[in-house]
Amino acid sequence: MSVPVFCLTGGQVVLGGRRILDEVDIRVEAGEFVAILGANGSGKTTLVRSLVGLVPLAAGHLELFGTPIGRFRDWARLGYVPQRLAVGGGVPATVGEVVASGRAGRVSRFRRYGADDRRAIAHALEDVGLADRTRDAVTTLSGGQQQRVAIARALAGEPEVLVMDEPTAGVDADSQDTLAGALGHLSNAGGSVVLVAHELGPLAGLIERAVVLSHGHVVSDGPPPQPEGHHADPAHVHGHPHAGEQPQRAGFGLA
Amino acid sequence: MSIFAYDFMRRALVAAVLVGLAAPAIGTFLVQRRLSLMGDGIGHIALTGVALGFLLGTAPVLTAIVVAIVGAIAIELVRERGRASGDVALALLFYGGIAGGVLLIGLSPGGTPGALVGYLFGSLSNVTTSDLAVIVGLGVAVLAIVAVFARELFAVCQDEEVARVSGLPVRFLNILVAVTAAVTVTVAMRVVGLLLVSALMVVPVATTQQLTRSFRTTLLGACALGATASVGGLVMAFYLDVAPGAATVVLALGVFLVFVLLGGARRAVAR
Repeated sequence: MSVPVFCLTGGQVVLGGRRILDEVDIRVEAGEFVAILGANGSGKTTLVRSLVGLVPLAAGHLELFGTPIGRFRDWARLGYVPQRLAVGGGVPATVGEVVASGRAGRVSRFRRYGADDRRAIAHALEDVGLADRTRDAVTTLSGGQQQRVAIARALAGEPEVLVMDEPTAGVDADSQDTLAGALGHLSNAGGSVVLVAHELGPLAGLIERAVVLSHGHVVSDGPPPQPEGHHADPAHVHGHPHAGEQPQRAGFGLA
Repeated sequence: MSIFAYDFMRRALVAAVLVGLAAPAIGTFLVQRRLSLMGDGIGHIALTGVALGFLLGTAPVLTAIVVAIVGAIAIELVRERGRASGDVALALLFYGGIAGGVLLIGLSPGGTPGALVGYLFGSLSNVTTSDLAVIVGLGVAVLAIVAVFARELFAVCQDEEVARVSGLPVRFLNILVAVTAAVTVTVAMRVVGLLLVSALMVVPVATTQQLTRSFRTTLLGACALGATASVGGLVMAFYLDVAPGAATVVLALGVFLVFVLLGGARRAVAR
């Protein structure tokens, strides 16, 4: 069996004294297309953030491409797409500039971007259907288009795995279709995708496996729920927003 | 009498060009991450460094650089914690810097707060030959750092977490911005003064972005404007006998107003 992209065993995350994830085991193979589902507050976002090293594990063991995360250096193999593209900076930036920044970690700081870099950036922009907006300021784009910019930025780095936090939240139907197309290309080329989703929408056909979280635990892991009206989807079971406040340990009442 | 007839004016002009280029270059990254007041904070802290120089009898520029760098790293570490109290911690550093400066100058032999005025607002006769060497060396270093690291700094200022996942040395880059800003502040204090340094880091950026769409154009335009304003301010200071820092900043703010009106007119036409 090939080396898994992510291998988390016994993963536990504690934030602000609350146990957000506990005893999470998840293994993502190369080429897999995995959706992380679950109610609000179930720990989906924390799980993907811990997989890419943005949230430290309180306990457990995480390997990226077979290397323990503490020693992992091959970050160019990963692409990360946050929930929202940050556009609140005080200085304008064009779509092309933001997407190009996705390659900054791959190229020596003493070198200019070469033909390969420019090709990858142009390709990423085409993939999300924004090639004609390259020179526009990102602030002039709609929310869905900005989300596509964030995805193109990750794609510009030509990652082997794309990790996305709710890429479809608040995104218009057109953008969702474009997104599905871009992810389909990546998946066909052998790339892996791990995404947090609330509604699968046009992505439903691409997802091979769904990991469902509840109260910080994995409660199911297998083929995705069939998209017959999304209320059948376990993600739509409304959880308790303050589920984490169950008495776990005394003394954490002070925020 | 020509402005170039005086040695001190020639030195001041060279210093003004470098400071005018360097301050907005690093300032663009500060404005991008909404840290426009960081230059101010560093300027306040540097005042303690200047006074320390008087007290110890060493060159105030050297002590100012050291104290400003330490202060800038402290500000960055507070920011990194990302708590609401960071705002208060910054305020404490501001007050501590000014109070420390005035206190230390009072303790130094023959020192009066008046000795600090040239550092607070800039002074034409401030720039000695050895000062000029320091200003040129450090100014060029700041520009070189911005040129080499611009791509990574842009990525970090755009989204720190995405930058971290893409393998960039985020913490190093943040501290690099803080240290570079500190160096810029101390370089610029001779020309525009510590209290107005930050204006030269921020106002040209705020001005160009009225008309620009891209980060790159904003940065380059701000550098051009910064150099123009600081040279213009110096010339104004020479003929009107006013503090160069004040003249520079008033000039820069005037251009800002013009750009705001132009930007507004352009948007109105586009509509």
